[in-house]
Amino acid sequence: MRWWPRGLRVRLLAACALVAFAAAGAAAWAGAESAGDALLASHGQQLTRTVTDQVGAVTPSLSYPPDQATLDRLRAAVGGDTLVTYRGLRSAAGTGPGLVTPELRDAVRDGNRLVTQRVVAGGTPWLLIGTPVVITAVDGTRRPSGIEVYTARDLTGVDGRIDDLTRSAIGAAALSLPLAALLALLAARSVLRPVRELRDTAGRLAAGDLGARTAPVGADELADLTVTINEMAGSVQASMAAMRRMQADARRFAADASHELRTPLSTLTAVMEVLADTADDMEPDARESARLAIAETRRLVRLAEDLMEVSRFDAGTAALRVEEIDLAVAVRESLRARGWLDRVEVEAPGPLPVRADRRRLDVVVANLAGNALRHGGPPVRVRLGATPGEVWAEVTDGGPGLAASALPHVFERFWKAGSSRTGPGNGLGLAIALENVRLHGGRLTAGNADGGGARFLLHLPRDAQETR
Amino acid sequence: MNRARSATVVAALLLGGCGVQPSGVTDAAEAPTGIAPGVTLYFLDQNGTLRPQQRRSGRLGTVAEAVTLLLYGPGQSGLRTGISPSESPRAEAVTTPGTIELRLPLAAGEVTPPGADQIVCTALATHIQSGGPARTTVRLIFTIPEPGSDTPRTCPLISPRAPGR
Repeated sequence: MRWWPRGLRVRLLAACALVAFAAAGAAAWAGAESAGDALLASHGQQLTRTVTDQVGAVTPSLSYPPDQATLDRLRAAVGGDTLVTYRGLRSAAGTGPGLVTPELRDAVRDGNRLVTQRVVAGGTPWLLIGTPVVITAVDGTRRPSGIEVYTARDLTGVDGRIDDLTRSAIGAAALSLPLAALLALLAARSVLRPVRELRDTAGRLAAGDLGARTAPVGADELADLTVTINEMAGSVQASMAAMRRMQADARRFAADASHELRTPLSTLTAVMEVLADTADDMEPDARESARLAIAETRRLVRLAEDLMEVSRFDAGTAALRVEEIDLAVAVRESLRARGWLDRVEVEAPGPLPVRADRRRLDVVVANLAGNALRHGGPPVRVRLGATPGEVWAEVTDGGPGLAASALPHVFERFWKAGSSRTGPGNGLGLAIALENVRLHGGRLTAGNADGGGARFLLHLPRDAQETR
Repeated sequence: MNRARSATVVAALLLGGCGVQPSGVTDAAEAPTGIAPGVTLYFLDQNGTLRPQQRRSGRLGTVAEAVTLLLYGPGQSGLRTGISPSESPRAEAVTTPGTIELRLPLAAGEVTPPGADQIVCTALATHIQSGGPARTTVRLIFTIPEPGSDTPRTCPLISPRAPGR
């Protein structure tokens, strides 16, 4: 059961209105209470004075000791619901006598004073007045005469007026409610507006707009918070800018370095071609050295080209040129061009049309198949297939597979597995393959097949979008 | 559930606070007085000293009745009076706060100074016994006044600081 409202505004409003209503209600109620008490007291005084005067007016003419007739006269003088007693005699009329309480009777007997008591009988409020009639001596001393007068006066009129007072008090308190609600609304607005602005700013910051700021207003805690958030955003913005600059510097360095290497390497390659043509005429030792130099130079050229390719991916300048091709045909051509068709089994269910960049797909296939041939063991298989939205290619080998610790790093640049993964690769092949697949909007995952060999799974969307 | 219960209690308190509530016995005022077995008249003894005399008339009566009774004389009690007897004595009294004005069927010369005290004391005694304040003066209005005969007087036997109202 959750009935407490969640919103800050509603809670503020409810609390404010409640407090104001309670305060106004308490004040009005206390006022009505004391006014009612005063009303009751003055009414009681008036009643007792009337009774005293009525008794005092008739007593000098009453015989003492009194007889029944005297008591009747006294009772008639007081009027209404009255009981007059003298020792064994009593004169009573109305409902008043039945209301007289024992404590009132005791108070009248014990003291020489007029006493009163309020009682409620049958829903009607009564003021009971009880008094002895005293004998005053010439010197002023007073002693009881034995005559006691009890009378009951109806307080219904006063009760009604007190009820009116209470009703008007409740009304006054209720009047304070809209005022309190209005004040609470104003207070809530003044508090919540800066909070809302801060929330908007924080949202824009989270969405990447690092320039978002809130102008602090005033000098309260919210303004402090605003200033702090602005400072935080400023420092995040500064460090992000520094990081981007450093990244860009690093990429530019790699691109520049590989580009600068290209020209001398081309020259070197040309020289090596000449050297290769003449190598057969050399002495065996010199020929061996020349072949090694030629091979290493080729690796160097390849590394420089790969680094340039990676730099293009990092710079975002790698372009995708899609055309309608058949994946099965593309894979077979790729393998045939490298002379691997007899070492790799290709299983294709039929034509697999896909929109892809032929050159980049060739790079991916060559990388995956070459990897399997180099690092895994036979048999190397490429299975092709299609789902409604995608085509897929699975490359498996019969080697020892990928170690569990190696799996997260397979696609990292310059990463090479342990002893079984040394070889001619430069560690950029799989990273470049992954970038190419991503450029198509596809996925490339590495794992191990059930038989134990490494298993690379390539998914390509059927309709990759051309970029630039 | 608890909230509902406390709300009910508060509402009951608020509603219960309205209207007239029963109370204990409260002391409110002086008891009324004025009842007495008789009236006190003032006469003079053999030495001319002022003396109160109880008349067991069975009731207190008014100031005028007491003074009228005084004018009838001491009877066979052996006391004397300083007031000349008259044919049909009948006094009238007008009581205002602080003063009793007595209209007497007598000339100022028919009353001796102790006789005037008798009238003043009798009037004051009845006034006090019927609940009036002791700090009250009496003005005597004669049929034939003398200079100073209608000045406010007090009774030498009754202290104005006596208890009572």
